[in-house]
Amino acid sequence: MTRKKVKLAYITNDSSRKATFKKRKKGLLKKVSELSTLCDIKTCAIIYSPYDTQPEVWPSPMEVQNIIAKFKMMPEMDQSKKMVNQESFLRQRIAKSEEQLKKQQRDNREKEMTQVMYRSLVGEGLHNLNIVDLNDLGWVIDKSIKEIDEKIKSLLEQQAVPPPPPPPPAAAAPAPQVVTMTSHASRTTKQDMFNDEAAVRNTITDLATDSSQNQQWLMDLLKSNDNMCFGRNDDMLPYSLHTNNFWSNFPFP
Amino acid sequence: MRKSKGRQKIEMVKMPNDSNLQVTFSKRRSGLFKKASELCTLCGAEIGIIVFSPGKKVFSFGHPCVETIIDRFLTRNPPQNSGTLQLIEAHRNASVREHNVQLTQLTNQLEAEKKRGEALNRMRKAGQAEHWWEAPIEGLGLQQLEQLKGSLEELKKNVAKQADRLLIQNSNPPQFFGAGNSNHGVIPFDTIIPYDTKNVGLSGNAMPHTYNHGYGRGFF
Repeated sequence: MTRKKVKLAYITNDSSRKATFKKRKKGLLKKVSELSTLCDIKTCAIIYSPYDTQPEVWPSPMEVQNIIAKFKMMPEMDQSKKMVNQESFLRQRIAKSEEQLKKQQRDNREKEMTQVMYRSLVGEGLHNLNIVDLNDLGWVIDKSIKEIDEKIKSLLEQQAVPPPPPPPPAAAAPAPQVVTMTSHASRTTKQDMFNDEAAVRNTITDLATDSSQNQQWLMDLLKSNDNMCFGRNDDMLPYSLHTNNFWSNFPFP
Repeated sequence: MRKSKGRQKIEMVKMPNDSNLQVTFSKRRSGLFKKASELCTLCGAEIGIIVFSPGKKVFSFGHPCVETIIDRFLTRNPPQNSGTLQLIEAHRNASVREHNVQLTQLTNQLEAEKKRGEALNRMRKAGQAEHWWEAPIEGLGLQQLEQLKGSLEELKKNVAKQADRLLIQNSNPPQFFGAGNSNHGVIPFDTIIPYDTKNVGLSGNAMPHTYNHGYGRGFF
């Protein structure tokens, strides 16, 4: 099979057109036959060409007549409901393609703005974005936050189920802990987690409303990279720099 | 992630699985009509196809139309060639040509967007390997989630600030007409701009600039 892209227009070259007709007619009839067999249904095809007064038919003239008769016996509405000609068929395909295109564009836009969101989290500025971008970025952020809330909720529900063991005594000396941000942390005592999380959430809320710390962070960020966090850089987001001091005072087992 | 099995050699018997059969019917019927349509366009053929579905509905394709093909077949009459019919035919063919052009354009656009989507997926995957916060939310632990949420809420505030900054900037365009009206073209600060609606471009906001009204108020 040739894989050249054929222009969808009448083939002006006579011999080329005739050759194409022969090949494609054969292929078409084969497809009709396959459809009939695979799906166990009745179907027929009638093909008139400029090369012959007699049509080429499938499966046989007799069978075609039968199918036509069966067709005509159906109520008018049922006949015409799924009837198409070239024009209407093309319009259907155009409508479908347009819908697919719109959906793909929407998905791509969301993916694109998600990338922007991630880049912004590590400090890339927002000044390149126009108002539409900012709107869309806000939308993506909202969606992420919503997903996070749901996940947090489900995790907390899981943890609330087992009966709480007596809480262990808090460690006296605050060791500078690198908080390992992996799911291993969740394997520690569930009650610890529960207590800690509540405290964490409170503190984060407090800190988040402290705007002066944001200015400070921005200045630090502009000055150097090392100030950003203790522990591995890729563990911490610069946007949460103001929680660093908190982490270092809170021992995690 | 593969969504379908791809091309497989298939045995020419009735399909055993009923839902596969339905899907096959749907796809192949559509493909059949597409091939028939192409044959008509490329070679000037006139074709009629009738298909009864597994659900006893009937699909039909006809060029120029199903009825004329059926009549021509049953009565064995050669096609009429009146001037009017030829004119109608010509119009229809022109319309079909336009549709084909439009469809080709759409198909190309769709393909381009799909490629773009794949590239974006690759970017996402690469990012996930480097930064924990780019990983799917499903796989994150509680502290990670809390921290990420905090960061995102912070970012959201900055986005809102930046948006406000832009809106204020854009509400002070250079003066037109020099008409002496100092309010010319300035948007009042309490104009409500929707923040949450997607795809709101500047043109979608309530700021019609009707400067060419002249020297009175530039907007209403």
